[in-house]
Amino acid sequence: MTTAGHARLVPVGAVSLRGSAALRLQHVSKTFPGTVALDDVTFDVASGQIHALLGGNGSGKSTLIKILAGVYEGDPGGTISVGSTQIAADRTTPAQARTLGLHFVHQNPAVFPALTVAENIAIGTGFPTSGGGAIRWRTLHRRTQMLLDRFQITATPKTPMSSLRPAERTMVAIARALQDQEGDATGVLVLDEPTASLPQSEVDLLMAALTRYAAHGQTILFVSHRLDEVIHSAQQATVLRDGRLAGTVHGADITEPQLIRLIAGRDLDRVFPEMPAATSKDIALSVTELAGGPLRSVTFQLRRGEVLGIGGLLGSGRSELLKMLFGAYPVKRGTINIDGRPIKFRHIGEAMSAGIAYVPEDRSTEASFPAMSLSENVNAAVISQYWSRLRLQRRHADRDARTAIKNFRVHAASERQTMSTLSGGNQQKVILARWLRRNPQILLLDEPTQGVDVQARAEIYQLVRQAVAHGTSVLLVTSDFEELSRVCDRVIVLANGTISAELQPPHIDPARLTELVFSAQELPA
Amino acid sequence: MSFANPVSKTGDRGPGEPQPTHRRRLGGQANWLELIERYALVVLFVAMLVFFSVWSKTSSTFPTSANIKNVLGNQAVSGILAVAIIIPLVCGVFDFSVGSVAGLSQVLCAGFMSHLGAPLVLAVLGAVGVGALIGVNNGNTVARIGVNSLIVTLGVSTVCLGIVEWYTKGQSIISGISPDLVKVGTGDWLGIPRTVYYLAVIALAVYYLLEHTPFGRYLHSIGSNPEAARLVGLPVQRYVTLSFVLSGALAGVAGVLLVARNGGASPQVGTVSDTLQALSAAYLGATAIKPGRFNVLGTLIAILFLSFTVTGLSLAGVANWINDVFNGAALFIAVLISTIIGRKRTGS
Repeated sequence: MTTAGHARLVPVGAVSLRGSAALRLQHVSKTFPGTVALDDVTFDVASGQIHALLGGNGSGKSTLIKILAGVYEGDPGGTISVGSTQIAADRTTPAQARTLGLHFVHQNPAVFPALTVAENIAIGTGFPTSGGGAIRWRTLHRRTQMLLDRFQITATPKTPMSSLRPAERTMVAIARALQDQEGDATGVLVLDEPTASLPQSEVDLLMAALTRYAAHGQTILFVSHRLDEVIHSAQQATVLRDGRLAGTVHGADITEPQLIRLIAGRDLDRVFPEMPAATSKDIALSVTELAGGPLRSVTFQLRRGEVLGIGGLLGSGRSELLKMLFGAYPVKRGTINIDGRPIKFRHIGEAMSAGIAYVPEDRSTEASFPAMSLSENVNAAVISQYWSRLRLQRRHADRDARTAIKNFRVHAASERQTMSTLSGGNQQKVILARWLRRNPQILLLDEPTQGVDVQARAEIYQLVRQAVAHGTSVLLVTSDFEELSRVCDRVIVLANGTISAELQPPHIDPARLTELVFSAQELPA
Repeated sequence: MSFANPVSKTGDRGPGEPQPTHRRRLGGQANWLELIERYALVVLFVAMLVFFSVWSKTSSTFPTSANIKNVLGNQAVSGILAVAIIIPLVCGVFDFSVGSVAGLSQVLCAGFMSHLGAPLVLAVLGAVGVGALIGVNNGNTVARIGVNSLIVTLGVSTVCLGIVEWYTKGQSIISGISPDLVKVGTGDWLGIPRTVYYLAVIALAVYYLLEHTPFGRYLHSIGSNPEAARLVGLPVQRYVTLSFVLSGALAGVAGVLLVARNGGASPQVGTVSDTLQALSAAYLGATAIKPGRFNVLGTLIAILFLSFTVTGLSLAGVANWINDVFNGAALFIAVLISTIIGRKRTGS
């Protein structure tokens, strides 16, 4: 650590401040009704360093970032210091975060592909205008060129954003966030999973840029799921687990086993992909060298009456895989066999007739009909069944909906209640009921318990188990490793567009899954 | 989805449906509120009838059977347009061309008979067919290519008006109209103008289609959430296209009835203001009977409310511009109320 005395001796502040705390969190907590999202977290982010923030789902990373950004207020008692300014953690506001010098770039940075680089830069702080209100383009382009030079982005101010590669778009977003920062060392750049949706080559490019910025004295706090980039680039790494500080590691101590131990909460051996056990059970679904979207070549088999879990990071192609099997996403190559017969769905209706059901990841945009009644939502995939004697047999439909609501333990006043008035968990049960009513051969579940309370989650899995007992085979995508280990008969891990590992009982446990999913990036593709 | 109008993307509902709720099991007060919501338009309609019947300026002319028959007979066509426009509205898109399509079909139907000497059946089929074809064009542009429905149909509407102007050179077509057609359009059955019966049949058919067939459910689903509709296996594009074909064909039927009713075709009839009136009725109708949903019965009550009010006002001798102000204000208020109902019901 450089002392304050030393700092005065060195003429340029940027270099001299390196190593002292640019951002200091002390006793930061956040309580939501019923849960403690963040519990007494204390750590320092040293000036001019890349500091990684890691943790599994629900570890409190996002809550922490939101408190820093002023989106949430922390509980009273904590403090946040940037440089020499200290504020109470329960007093954060977005405006204050800005004046403190905290600059945020989110996972999908808000860039405008149709606008030029210069316009994208100006949208952060406003366009320079002349007296009459017209944009002073020359000033803007000059200013932008300086920023592009400073952040070493190979583009001109007039380049359309859409023609930049993904990593460079993020770099422009960083430049935009930091453009008002006086020197490199005065503020903190906070990146929330900047690499989650980038392919590996782009990640390398972006991390190289971040390393350069840090070398110039920029303090960077970045949230990441990818252990390899943390190990290669970060000088410090803080891990949260269940809202608490699991530990902060420095320099050479940032190793994969160490990080996984902190993320998962216990020691681990390096796990290698396991050999699939020989089984005589018949195959419900067999996928061979499937490619399309982020998937390069995916091969696996789903046995009848099996719950097969799919683990993988965001952007690994989990959802696209399910959509391809449902005929809702274009398949580039590869074959899909159901009951040994090759199939090629031209549209979703064909997948449904083949006995496939799909509960999408995003309930509000992909599954729920918010303005319609529960009855209409439950019956959405079977409406034509109620067409008889030249009319829709509403009473019959409502009666079936009532039964489904009871069987699926949906808490609702009546089947005529509007969908949007239900809680998330209840809506999810309605969607599940919609598909299980069809007695599907294959049920595709994408994050079925996202944003669902514990009680409803247990009920949902009980319902899935019931369906399995009746012969349904399930493909389950979830980011919750606890869930994967408890619900699944077998788990495959998706990374780099292919299946990187497979886990069989009794080896399916959250810790192993954590390791496999997080370290999958390093396995040979 | 790409065809959804920009209004709904900004959190506003656009033509999408506000929230229907069923709170009748939740206690007396909610019950009352629901009743008021449901029948407010009916009460308003009756109050308006009473007002014009007793107001000294209109009491001698308004509550006469001649006036009532006249309004009903003339407004049947407006009613058909209003019923036509709710089909695309139900699935979340605008058909802003219904008025002008009716105008074009009217001129073509009369022109086929008058200029080409076409037999009645061909003239009618041709006029309705043109309406349906325009619907195919609207639907494909909106559903497959993803152009904003309001802009597409506004453009098509203007093209139709231009064609009418070119074809008629601003003159009405009055000669050579089949007397059979005129007989169909004028005269009464059981003391009620015949056109009212046609409206009743069409309204019943559309009501049946929207409320009692799977197709209708599918349209409602698409209007509520197009992506979710796609992911339950619905051919969303085809259904959206079909909704435009239906509204176009019904606008064609309205055009034929205009010829039948007026005994000819006038380039001044069937314009954007007819579309606006239909739109007002549709939105006003969505505040009544089944609040929060575009519904046929509510729309019919709304069109009666609008047309009798306009008639009452003109019988009272108010200036013509009052009509425009009234129709515009009705649309404005109807959209406002249905949006507020929707907000309140989603709790947002």
